[in-house]
Parts: sequence; C-alpha cells; structure tokens
Amino acid sequence: MTTEPTLLSSLTENLELARKLRKLEIHFYPDRCRGVWQCYEVCPVGCWTPDYEKRVVIFQDAERCIACGACVLQCPEKAIELR
Amino acid sequence: MATVFMKWLETRPGDYDRGIQLLTLGKIQHIKETIANDYIREGMRVLEIGCGTGALTEMIAQRGAIVTAIDASPRMLDEAEYRIKRAGLEERVSLEYVDATLIAERFPPASFDLIISTLVFSELPLDELRFVLEACRKLLRPEGRLLIADEVLPAGFIARLLYYLVRLPLALLTWLITRTTTHTLRGFESTLARTGFRTQAAASYLGGSLVLYESVPVSGEEVEPVLPPTVIGVLRHRVSLRNLLLDFWLLFFRIIPPYPKVRTGLYAVGHPHSGSPVLVTGNFDLTVRRLTRALDGRVDAWLLVADSAGINVWCGAGGGYFTAEKVIAALKTSHLDQVVDHHTLILPQLCANGVDGWRIRKETGWGAHWGPVRAEDIPAYLAHKRQKTDEMRWVTFPLKDRLEMVTVTMGFYGLFILLPVFLFWRHMFWPITFSMLGLSYFYAIVHPWLPGRDGLYKSIPLTAISLAGLFAYHASLNPLSAQQLFHWAIGLTGLSVFSAAELQGMSPLMRGEQANWGREAMIGLMLGAIYWLIPLAVGWR
Repeated sequence: MTTEPTLLSSLTENLELARKLRKLEIHFYPDRCRGVWQCYEVCPVGCWTPDYEKRVVIFQDAERCIACGACVLQCPEKAIELR
Repeated sequence: MATVFMKWLETRPGDYDRGIQLLTLGKIQHIKETIANDYIREGMRVLEIGCGTGALTEMIAQRGAIVTAIDASPRMLDEAEYRIKRAGLEERVSLEYVDATLIAERFPPASFDLIISTLVFSELPLDELRFVLEACRKLLRPEGRLLIADEVLPAGFIARLLYYLVRLPLALLTWLITRTTTHTLRGFESTLARTGFRTQAAASYLGGSLVLYESVPVSGEEVEPVLPPTVIGVLRHRVSLRNLLLDFWLLFFRIIPPYPKVRTGLYAVGHPHSGSPVLVTGNFDLTVRRLTRALDGRVDAWLLVADSAGINVWCGAGGGYFTAEKVIAALKTSHLDQVVDHHTLILPQLCANGVDGWRIRKETGWGAHWGPVRAEDIPAYLAHKRQKTDEMRWVTFPLKDRLEMVTVTMGFYGLFILLPVFLFWRHMFWPITFSMLGLSYFYAIVHPWLPGRDGLYKSIPLTAISLAGLFAYHASLNPLSAQQLFHWAIGLTGLSVFSAAELQGMSPLMRGEQANWGREAMIGLMLGAIYWLIPLAVGWR
C-alpha cells in the first residue's frame, strides 16, 4: 500500500536521493560486455566509446558522467552498475 | 462572425437575410451573386443544402437552374416557399424538409451538376461534415462541382488576432442571449481533400474569414486515404492565441502543476503511410508542440504519444513517470500494428534513463531504437536510415537554453520575492528587480566560463563579481551608507547562491540536481544569522 507523500516526506526523500546521487559512481565490468553498445547509444554526455575490433565498449570519461542511469538500465548484460 | 449571430437570428426567419447581410458587411450578397453569375447555366440541376429563406435559391432559379433546396428548419422552408411563389418559380424549385446527413438516401447518385451551400458546413460536427461531403461526392455527376461559402478561421496570425478580437465579444453576447455558440471551419481544405475533392478558394472576404470554396470530385485513386480509426488526428505546427498564452505561462511557471497535457495515442504528422516511421514521445503539451514544429512539413511520420504524466521525457523517465509500460500501453491501445506494416519504434534518447528498451522488445516484439536528443535532428536522423552522429547523441546547454531556463526561474522570483517586495516594500521594488534580472541573466551568459561543474562552486565567482559591482557602484556613482552596503551585500550573496544553484537544477550537464537543497538551506541560514547578528553587534538596532 502506498500513501500520499507529504511535503516533508518528499523533501526528506529528495534530500536522501540527492545525497545518493552525489556519491554515485559508474562501476563497469568489461568481462560481462558483449558489445551491444546500448550504453554508447543512450549516453547523453559521451562517456562510452565503442571498441569496434574487440566488440566491447570502453568507459572513457568518468568526469563527464551525470549519473543519469540510462546505460545501467539499457545494458542487457548488467555490466554497468551505479552505486 | 456571421454565424454567431445566425443562431440568434434563426429564431426570426423574416429578419434573417437582413441580419446576415449586415454581419458579413454585404459580402454574403457578393458571394451569392458570384455563384449565380459565374456558375449557373440554363437547365443545370442544382442541390442547395440549407437554403434558409431561399434568397440564393431564387437567384439561381431565375438564371434557369432546376433547383432542389433542402433545409432542416420548417420555419425557414415556409419563408422560402413564400418567396419562391411570389417570384413565380415553383416549377423550377422543389423545397424539401431534409437533414443534410440524409441526402445520400433521399436523392439518386450522380443526379446533380452543382451542389451549393452557404454558412451551413461550419455548423456541423466534424464526423457529420465528413459524412455529408462523402454524400455530396456520390450525388455529383463526374464533371460536377461543389460550391461552399463559409466562415473559416483565418490563416495569418494578424488576421486571426483581429478575427478573435471581433469574434470573442460577439460570441459572448450570443451565448448570453441564446446559450448556444457556433464554430468556424478549421482545416476545411484538408477535410475536402480527404473526402475526395480537389479544392480552390474562389473568393475570400473579411480578412480570409469568409471564403467561397470551389471543389471538383477527383477519381478514386487520387483520394487521400482516410486516417485509420485509431489515429486521433493530424498534428500541425500553428501559431494560435491558445498556444501563445500557454507558451507565456510555461515560460515563467513551467514547473507548477498541473502540466498541460496532450491526449495520449497515435497522431499523424504530414501524410504518413503504413511504412512511415513511428516516433514515441511523452504527453507534455510543450514537448508535443515542439516536436510537431520540428517535424511538420519536413517528414511524414506517426507520433505515438505515451503518458508521461505531462512531464518532459527526460524528467518524466528519471522520476519514474515515463516507463516502458506506458509506451507498451500506448502501443497496444492505438492498435499500431494495424496502422503500420513494420515493427520499429523510435524512442527519444533522453528517456533511456527510465524507459527500459529491452522490456519493450521482449513484451511486444517491436524493435526499439534510440532517436536523437533534439527534435530538430529527427529529419536528418530519419534521412540517414537512423544513423546518429555524436552531435545528435550529446546534450549541450547553449545560450538559448540557458536564457530560457533563467526565465523560468524569473516566474518564481516574481511570485515569491518581487510580489511581496512590491506590496510591502515598494521603494525597493525597482532596485531589487534590476539586480535580480541583471544577476540571473549575467550568470546565464557567463555560465560556461565559470570554473567547476557544481552550481555552488560557480556561485563563488558570481558572488565575488556581484559584490565587486556593488562596491564599484558605491565608490563611483552613488555612495551608500554602511548599513545599506551591508544589506545589499547579504541580499546579493543570497541571490547569487540561489541563482547559481537553481540553474544547476535546470541544466542537463551538472549532476545531483537536488543535492544543493541542503547546502542552500545551510547557506541561507548562515546569511540570515549574519543579517541578524551583525547589526546587533554593531549597534544598528
């Protein structure tokens, strides 16, 4: 059962979420990657680069990451984690 | 504007013609004379739909036409009968009490050379309108013509504005008197095209609000296909009063719910066919309109509008409102598989943070492709067989977007700061307004050149610049008292921190958009404490 969020609960939830978001980092497991490149397709800031020879992807630029979570959701091999 | 008063006038057939004549500034008489002089030949068989008091009926019968005139109002028909008898034209005119939707049943196919109708079609709802036009096509001989004179919504922006200025008071008055309202024809030429007519505007009056359409039936193959029944409608880019008012509201108060929504389901853009691409989007009004603006006239596509709770696709997906389930629901309920012969959806790339592409692929068997970030890139993306360049894939935060986002915050400033200041502290209204506008827009412009990615770090140089500006003003233009300087310094610091942090929340490039709330509150409390304690210590209070 869900209850309507109050202003206070949504505020504290948001603060918690924000605290999490701030610390979130991409963890990439290259051995799981099969090179479907969905992460490259959806990343809006260009963190991922496809390696066409090895058919994998390279996580290139952690500095640019905005922790939007798109690559995590779209990776069919669960090779990317955000924590 | 004519038909607004028509409803009111219809109750008194005797005054009807005089009223219409007055309301159209005599132009309706022009149109009737044009029809009688240019289109009527001896012995022609004519059907007049909605003859009213029979003024036009009489004119065309005198030119030698054999007229069948119908109307759905017995009182009007009585008036027309009297007029025709007085003119001695009973042999050429047969008046019949028939509703427009029944003409295909009442008269044999291909039995008329000309069908005419003035100020009738705008009174019909769209489904009846289409039905009657299809019936007209059946009743006309192959070389026959359809002449429709009616009130339409003018095409040009200025003409439309003028039209509304005149129409709104008239419509209000009519509603007060009769509790009814009337409609104008919109997109009538495309309705004619879809029901199998080739049309040209033969004459146009009153700034394009009164038009005489001349249509000829086209052969079967040329008829534009009727839209499949699950398609809600055709989306067109148009500037209208409603859209301008909505844009104005959204410019300042975009974040305040309820968000203007578009009905979810399948729409057409241009003239799509069964092989046209299907683009998925959310149901925020501004999203759909901006997408339409980018696509209309450039590509023919289907637009599948899924429920994103009226939020833009990125925030909707991030917030858990726009999901794979919503896309699947829109796909199923619109019976998209009966409309197109492929199984490919193009999703907006920015909803990938919440719409699970694999779930759509597994549940429906449809392919899900990630389209470009910006709607403007869609035509190029489609033209290159769904090949995306990196530029189409990456978000940017250009000056135009920064200015738009700062303007959104101005709505909040106006409501929560400037309005109270105006009410209770009026002498400070303009100084505060100007410093707010200056500071916020200055920040929007210099944003990329300030160091760091975090709004709060960027607020440090911004604070420094605004305080430097304050002291420069103090030193050169207008010396302030120590107390005034102190108040302004506190105010500008708070404003700098808030502006910088706020724009971060609205930018696509800095992470942790809500992360600053806690720290903003802390800084606010500290500033409040300084504001309270320093004067106590110095002895200003």
